[in-house]
Amino acid sequence: MDTIYFLVQQMMFFSIPLMVVALGGMFSERSGVVNIALEGIMVMGAFCSFLFISKMESVMSGQWLLVLAILIAAAAGMIFSLLHAYAAINLKADQTISGTALNMAAPAIAIYAARTLQDNGIQQIQFTNTFRIESVPILGDIPVIGKLLFQNTYITTYLGFLILAVAAFVLYKTRFGLRLRACGEHPQSADSVGVNVYRIRYAGVLISGALGGIGGLIFVVPTSTNFNATVSGYGFLALAVLIFGQWKPLRILFAAFFFGLMKTIASAYSGIPILMNLGIPSDIYKMVPFIATLVVLAFSSKSSQAPRASGVPYDKGGR
Amino acid sequence: MKKVLSILLALTLVLGMSAAALADTYEIAMITDIGTIDDKSFNQGTWEGIVAFCDANSLTYNYYQPSAAGTEVYLDEIEKAVNDGAKVIVTPGFLFEEPIFIAQDMYPDVKFVLIDGNPHDADYTYRTNDNAVGIVFAEEQVGYLAGYAAVKDGYTKLGFMGGMAVPAVIRYGYGFVLGAEDAAAEMGIADITMNYHYTGGFAATPEAQALAAAWYNDGIEVIFACGGAVGNSAMAAAEAANGKVIGVDVDQSGESQTVITSAMKGLAASVEKVLAAYAAGEFPGGQSLTLGAADNGVSLPMENSKFATFTQADYDALYAKLAAGEVAIKTDADAEQADGLGTTIVKVAVVQ
Repeated sequence: MDTIYFLVQQMMFFSIPLMVVALGGMFSERSGVVNIALEGIMVMGAFCSFLFISKMESVMSGQWLLVLAILIAAAAGMIFSLLHAYAAINLKADQTISGTALNMAAPAIAIYAARTLQDNGIQQIQFTNTFRIESVPILGDIPVIGKLLFQNTYITTYLGFLILAVAAFVLYKTRFGLRLRACGEHPQSADSVGVNVYRIRYAGVLISGALGGIGGLIFVVPTSTNFNATVSGYGFLALAVLIFGQWKPLRILFAAFFFGLMKTIASAYSGIPILMNLGIPSDIYKMVPFIATLVVLAFSSKSSQAPRASGVPYDKGGR
Repeated sequence: MKKVLSILLALTLVLGMSAAALADTYEIAMITDIGTIDDKSFNQGTWEGIVAFCDANSLTYNYYQPSAAGTEVYLDEIEKAVNDGAKVIVTPGFLFEEPIFIAQDMYPDVKFVLIDGNPHDADYTYRTNDNAVGIVFAEEQVGYLAGYAAVKDGYTKLGFMGGMAVPAVIRYGYGFVLGAEDAAAEMGIADITMNYHYTGGFAATPEAQALAAAWYNDGIEVIFACGGAVGNSAMAAAEAANGKVIGVDVDQSGESQTVITSAMKGLAASVEKVLAAYAAGEFPGGQSLTLGAADNGVSLPMENSKFATFTQADYDALYAKLAAGEVAIKTDADAEQADGLGTTIVKVAVVQ
């Protein structure tokens, strides 16, 4: 039983950032803008928030510092994603190219800025992890569920679930969500009934920037003691989660948990006697999420759920 | 008017250049690796050695910080140093292996000291000219020190997390295993657990953190994290699980409270040693030096270590034995894998 608690606690460190970033990608893609810049956005969000944390550590610590850092990460991600939005929406540039450009620029900017702005001139940003919650008061004492969800955790886990709920609500139950989806499916129709496609798409990309930035922060917090201008390709993994989740919030949740669980098992199986005794090589666990993505794509390609206008610059004249 | 201006400009440039040429010369030069001379790592260690030696022997010295990493950029900095009159150029880090391979031919009158590597070209053909020296460290000895100290201090469930399985990392790991074995034999301990894994990279990843967390969860008490930023992932896991970490290369005690000691390379000492040889006219050109305990090339930072029962006296006694060459430690040349080292007390579980 302890093994399961451990696996679930550990899985959250993989799954929550993947889910948050994939939800960000969902908003962008469902508004009609492919956002492969998620990796770069994560790096920038993490960079700005960790710089903030390292500067403010001496005066404050704990959850309030983390909350402020989350806000900074969201703002940084939004600002950075504006570049992508401007290129993709106003300039009608190839969205793959502008996304790639941002992905390549982000680590370079982060390293240069870290060296310039830090007194010690090194590219790693050190931080002290004062954010971990050993056990949530009261909730952590509930049998089973308490150990699964409310011990050895971070407030970002619950923020992730909150983001999921809000995202699903916004997408399906609000006027904005309807317009967003319309712009991703058939922007000309949306325009014909008076929806400002450009504005909606800007909103979609900005939301993905905010969530991507937050994702970068909560990805790094539990896994290192410094930020070294990288998120190890998890932005791209989030894209796979988005596709595996078929651009739908609840399925993204499922996909993120599936990916996270497989990643956890692949990394941690040597410390878990039951899995160790199965004798399955870790490579198998590492492959499973991607093979599953391929299988899902193969089966769903006929009725693909991808937003139809995703990746196509909107041109009013093409109506 | 424009002509006058341009002539003036040209004149200033020429005068400026010659003024620069007349400026001070520096006999000993250092080119920094990625990072600055106060990076608490390779650059700082090297620089401290240069400063200590040059101040004591009244030699002039300076350092040059490349704007980026890369062979071309490093060669530019070497050229600058040579133009400033450098007679000895010290370069820390294996990234300099290629630049020094090229530079040793370009500047035959300048001496090159390459720390933690040996000059080779892009195809890994090694050649060290008479005006260059490569210095590597006996990682297996300091790994041995760390493994011995950990077991002497009461830890019986150990882990080794290497980065890429390159020779230096393998030597650290084998030494760690064998040190633990010998300490356990001395103390009469019957069983030592040793999880052994190479992560395949030098980055902090959630995979590395998950692995370390799983090991701690499974009862592992201390992990020798031996792969650059992999250590930061191990520290993150250790902080959450009240585990312990052994750092690598430099004293990492400042990075996390969980670091009980670090397997250090003696950068400053090695630089001083080679510069002393140069000053005495005995520059060890063409050689590849391996510095171990006998040359103070490796050590544990006892003053910053958090040992409960392993004392300075224990350390000194063991160090003396290592320095005297009384302990034979198998290296990457002797065994394919860590479980093939022939240990009987330490049960090595190699994790692929």
